[in-house]
Amino acid sequence: MDPSGNFDVTSMAEGELGLSSPSVVYEEPASVWHRLARNHKISIVSIVVILLFVLGAIFAPLLTPYEYDAVSLSERLMPPSPTHLFGTDEVGRDVLTRMLYGSRMSLIIGIVPTMLSMAIGTLIGMTAGYFGGKVDTIIMRVADIVMSFPSMLLAMVVMYTLGGGTFNVFLTMAFVGWAGVARVVRSETLKLKESEYVEAARIMGVRRFRIIARHILPNCLPTIIVLFTLDIPAAILTESSLSFLGMGVQPPSASWGLMVNAGRAFLYHAPWLCFAPCLAIMVIVLAFNYLGDGLRDVLDPHLQSQ
Amino acid sequence: MLTVPLYGLLAQGCASQTTRAKRGSMVTATATDMSTMDMAHNDSVYWAQLNIFDRLFETRMIDGQATVVNSLCTDYRRSEDGLTYDFTLREGVLFSNGDPLTSSDVCYSFSRLLTEAAANTEIPLQIKGGEALMKKRADKLEGFNIKDNTHFSIVLEAPNGGFIAELSSPAMSIVNERVTRTAKNFGKEPTETIGSGPYYAAEWVPNDHFTMRYNEHYWGEEPTVKEAVRRIIPDASTQDLMFQNGEMDIISLSEIDSLIVQRSYKTERASQIVHNQQIGMTFVALNETNRFLKDVRVRKAICMAIDVNDIVHNLMCDDGMRQNGIIPTGIWGHNDKLEGPPFDPDGARALLAEAGYHDGDVSFEFALSSNGPQLLYETVSNQLSKIGVKANIKVYDKAAFMEKRLAGEVESFIGTWFMDYNDPANIMAVFFGGPERSKGRSICYPNVDIMQRVSAAKHIVDDEKRKKEYQDLERKIVIEDRAWIPLYEGTRLFCTGDRVESFTPFWAGYEDFCVKDVVLKKEARA
Amino acid sequence: MKGSKASNLLRRLLYALIAIVGVATLVFVLLRMVPGNPVATLLGEHADKETVERISSSLGLDKPLPVQFADYLLGALRGDFGQSYTLGKPVSELIGPAFVNTLWLALAAALVSWVVGIACGLAAAIHKSTIVDRLFMGFSLLGVSLPVFMVAMLLQYVFARYLHWLPVAGVTDWTGYILPAIALGWGSAGSIARLVRSSVIEVLQQDYIDTARAKGRTGTQILVLHALRNAMLPVITLMAMQFSGLLSGAFITETIFSINGIGRLAVQAIAGRDIPLLQGTTLLCTFVIVMGNLVADLLYSVCDPRVRKEA
Repeated sequence: MDPSGNFDVTSMAEGELGLSSPSVVYEEPASVWHRLARNHKISIVSIVVILLFVLGAIFAPLLTPYEYDAVSLSERLMPPSPTHLFGTDEVGRDVLTRMLYGSRMSLIIGIVPTMLSMAIGTLIGMTAGYFGGKVDTIIMRVADIVMSFPSMLLAMVVMYTLGGGTFNVFLTMAFVGWAGVARVVRSETLKLKESEYVEAARIMGVRRFRIIARHILPNCLPTIIVLFTLDIPAAILTESSLSFLGMGVQPPSASWGLMVNAGRAFLYHAPWLCFAPCLAIMVIVLAFNYLGDGLRDVLDPHLQSQ
Repeated sequence: MLTVPLYGLLAQGCASQTTRAKRGSMVTATATDMSTMDMAHNDSVYWAQLNIFDRLFETRMIDGQATVVNSLCTDYRRSEDGLTYDFTLREGVLFSNGDPLTSSDVCYSFSRLLTEAAANTEIPLQIKGGEALMKKRADKLEGFNIKDNTHFSIVLEAPNGGFIAELSSPAMSIVNERVTRTAKNFGKEPTETIGSGPYYAAEWVPNDHFTMRYNEHYWGEEPTVKEAVRRIIPDASTQDLMFQNGEMDIISLSEIDSLIVQRSYKTERASQIVHNQQIGMTFVALNETNRFLKDVRVRKAICMAIDVNDIVHNLMCDDGMRQNGIIPTGIWGHNDKLEGPPFDPDGARALLAEAGYHDGDVSFEFALSSNGPQLLYETVSNQLSKIGVKANIKVYDKAAFMEKRLAGEVESFIGTWFMDYNDPANIMAVFFGGPERSKGRSICYPNVDIMQRVSAAKHIVDDEKRKKEYQDLERKIVIEDRAWIPLYEGTRLFCTGDRVESFTPFWAGYEDFCVKDVVLKKEARA
Repeated sequence: MKGSKASNLLRRLLYALIAIVGVATLVFVLLRMVPGNPVATLLGEHADKETVERISSSLGLDKPLPVQFADYLLGALRGDFGQSYTLGKPVSELIGPAFVNTLWLALAAALVSWVVGIACGLAAAIHKSTIVDRLFMGFSLLGVSLPVFMVAMLLQYVFARYLHWLPVAGVTDWTGYILPAIALGWGSAGSIARLVRSSVIEVLQQDYIDTARAKGRTGTQILVLHALRNAMLPVITLMAMQFSGLLSGAFITETIFSINGIGRLAVQAIAGRDIPLLQGTTLLCTFVIVMGNLVADLLYSVCDPRVRKEA
C-alpha cells in the first residue's frame, strides 16, 4: 500500500492471492463470464463502463467539435454551458474535449506500462522461482532494492532522470512495477514446482522450458490476470500523482492527471476544471478495482468458497 | 470517515486563534526558501538583504520614475573624469549588535563579493584593482581608499554613469566586518548575519519559515511591523486559500491566474490591491544560429504573428503593458517612441513566403524550463501555428535548460529579465554586451560592432549622450535586426489583508519587499 | 534451533543492508545520468559559464564519478550527506527535523487508518453479505480508488475554506495535522478494512469459533477474544508495512498541506535539482521502509504460532 494514494496491489496480492491453491486448472473462459455475471454483477457493470471509456477515447474526434489544443484567450475559464458542457480551461480550451483526448493517454498509460511490467515481472519471477539457487537470490535481492524504494519516490527519481514525456512515463512505471509482479509470480511458481503434475512431468523427462510454458505459466495466469486488472488503476493513479507533481505527461498533451494538476489552482474559483478529470479518474479506477475484485473471487477457488 | 466531524469539533475552539498572527507581527509566504542571506552567494531572493542590511543608496519609486536616494551615504561627489567618487557616511549608524558602521565595513563588504567570487561580482569588479583581488593577485581593493570612519573614496577602472544607481542594488549591502570575518556560517546562521537594516534575523527553519524582528539600533524611523514571519508555501493555490482564511497578511498574486484575480480579488477586495510595475521585460529569444531563425524575415514574421495585445488583455487581464524595445518602462533611458510591427498574421505569412517558406516548413524547439510560464508558451506556440510556424514546446529540467542556454544551444525560449538597478546597462549589456554574453543567453547575435558599442556605452559619462547611444543601439537591435522580440512588462499585484493599513512594494517589482514599507492598522499593532 | 533463528535474523539484516546499499547506488547512478549542471540552477539567471564552473569544482562536482561515489558512501556511513545546494545547510540538519514532522503526521494518519479501517472491516464482516457489508466495502474501495490529492483538496476546501475550523496549510500547532492525517490515512483505511473483513470472515468459519459458541460465549466475546485476535495477524503485518509506507510516502500530502516533512523535502529537492538533499531523503525513506518490512517479518514470526513452531 502506497500511502501517497496509490493502491499497491502487491501487498494485497501477497496477502490474499498468495492463499490460492496451486491446483487451479485451466478455466473455460465462458464459465468465468458466467460466474462473473451470476455472482458479481458489478463487475459486468465495470466492464461496460471501461468499454464506454475506451469507445470515448477512440472516437474522441467524432464526439466533439473542438480541438484539444486550440487556444482561445477570449474564452478562458468559462463555466459549463450548452456550448462547452464542462466549461473551458485556463487558455480557453474545451474541457470535455480535453477529457476525451485525455482518456486516450490515461488508458494507454494504465495499460501499456502495466503490460510491460507484467511481462518482465512474470518472466523474471518464473525464472527465479523455477531455477532457484543463485539466480533466485540475485533476482530477489534486486527486486528487494526496487521494492524498498518508496514507489512514488522511485518513479519521481526515474522520471527526473529520463525527463518528462509520455514514453518516459511508460519506462518509469514498468521499471517501478516489475518487482512486485516478480515476487508474486515467483511464490506461485515455487508452489507449482512442488505440485504432483510438474513432478510427474519432470520425471517423464519433459524439458524445463516446456514445463514452464505448459504447466507453470497457464497455472499462474489467473493470478497474473487479477494482478493485471488491479495494477491498471494503480498505474492510472500513479500517473495522475506524477502529473500532479508536474513530473508526468507534458503539455500540450492531455492526460487526466495533467488536467487535475492544471485545474488545482482553480479548484475554488473554477471547479469545473478539476471536476471532470477527477470524476473520470475515480470512475475508471473504481471500475477496474471492482472488476479485479470480481475476477479474483471467480478465478480463486479458495476465496470463492466463502 | 467517522472521525471527520469528531476531529472538526475538537479543533473548532482553537483554530480561529491559531490562524491569525499576533499583534505587531506580520505573516507572508513564498514558494521557495532562499539558499542563504549572503549576497555573495545569492542573487535571486533578496528578502533578507532588503530588510537586514542597508546600502549606501536606495532606489525608490517617485511619481512612477525610479529615483536613487541617499541611505547610509549622505553625500557624494564625482570627479570631472567620472572615475573618482568621494562618499560621506551617515553619522552614528549602528549594526543590530551595537557595533558602529564605518568606512571599513563598506570596504570589507565590497571586497568580500570579489574574494568570495560567486554571485554579484559584476559591480565591484568595476572598482580599480577589482579583477586583481578576485583573481587573488592582490589582497586588497586598490581603488577603495578609506579616509576616516565616515569618509572614503572609490576609484573606478573606467567611467560608469550608472555607478551610483548600481550601488543601490541589494547586492551592494553593507555587512558587519568584525562579525562576518570570524563567522563560521555567514548568511546561514542568524546570529552571525549582522546588518544595520530595520530588522535582524531572529529564526530560520529552512524550508519552513524565516522570522525577522525589529532592530532596536536602527537609525531610521521605527516601523509598525515588529516581527515579520515568512512561511514557505510552495503552492500558489494554498497561499490563496491561506490568505482568504486570514492566515497571511500580504499575498503576491503573480502566481495566481489573472482571471481568478480579476474575478475574486479585484472584485471582492479592490481597495486592498496594491499595484506595482515589475521593472523588467518578458521577451522571446530566437537563436540566430538556427537555420530558420537566422533569417531576419522569419524573425520579423514571428514578431508579427504574436498577438501581444491579446496576451496582455486576455491572458494577463491587462496587468501588464506591451513593450516594443529592450529598456523597460520605468527605467531611465526607456524609449516610448519605439513602435513594434502591428499584429498581422497575413503579412507574416507573406513575409515567410518571400523568404521561401511555406506552411509547416519553419520548425524549431521552443524550450520551456520546468518552472516557466507554461500558459504563455502554449499561447505563443498556438499563435505561431496559425502562420504555419511550428514552435515545438519541449520541457526541460531547470538545470538542463540553463546548461543548454549557457552553451548557446537553446533554439528559442521566453525569458523575463528583472532590473536590479536603474540603468539600461543592466539589460542591454547583459544580452548584447559581447559575443560571449549573447551566446550565453542563446541569442547568438552576430553583429559584433553593435555589441562593442553596447559594451562601451556605459563609459559615456554625459547622461544625455549615453541615453541617446543606448536608444540608437536599441532601435538597431530591435527594429532593424529583430534580434529581440519584446512582449510585455508585467504588473505585480499584491493584496493586503485586513490588518494592513498601507503597503509600498519594492520599486523593481520583486516579490520581496521592504517590511518597513508596511504600515499595520492601529488594532493590529503591538 | 536457537542457532537457526539467530542466523535467520542475521540473514534478514544482511538482506536489508544489501537493499539499502543497492538503493544508494541506484540513486547515485540515476542522478548522475541527468544532463545539465545543478550549479547552473543554483546560481540563477545572472551567472556566467566561468562562475558555474568555479562553483562546481568547489562542490567537488568535477571529481571523477568513482571518487564522488566513494565520498558519498563514506559520508553517508557517518550520517553526513553533504550540504544542500538550495537550502545551504547540511542535509543531516534538514532531514532530522523534517523526519520528526513526518513521524507525527504518519502516527496521526496511522491512527486514523487503524481506527477507521478496523471498525469498518469488523462491521462489514459481522454483517457479511448484507447492505452494511456492501456499503462499507464500497466505501473502502472508494478509499483506495480516490487519489490522495483529491481527498486532500476536498478536506482543505470544506474544513478550512468554508467552515474555517482548521488551518489551510502549515503546522503551527497540533490542529495543523488533522486534515493531512485524514487525507493520508484515508487510503490505508480502505485496504485495512478489506483485509480485516476477509480475515475475520475466515476466522469466524474455523472450528474453534463453533466450539466457543457451543460453550455459550456471547457474540461480542467471540468477536473480541477469538475472531479479532486471530484475524489481526495479517492485519498487523499490513499495518507495520503501511506505517513505514506512510512515513516515507507522504509526498503529495505534505506538498499540499505545506508540511515541512521528508516527502516535501524530496519533492523540492527534485524541483531544485538538489542532489545531496535528494540522496539524503531517499536513503532515509529506504531505511525506514526496509526496517518497517523487517519489523513486519519479525512481528509475523512472533505472533503466528505456526511460524514460531517452524522456527
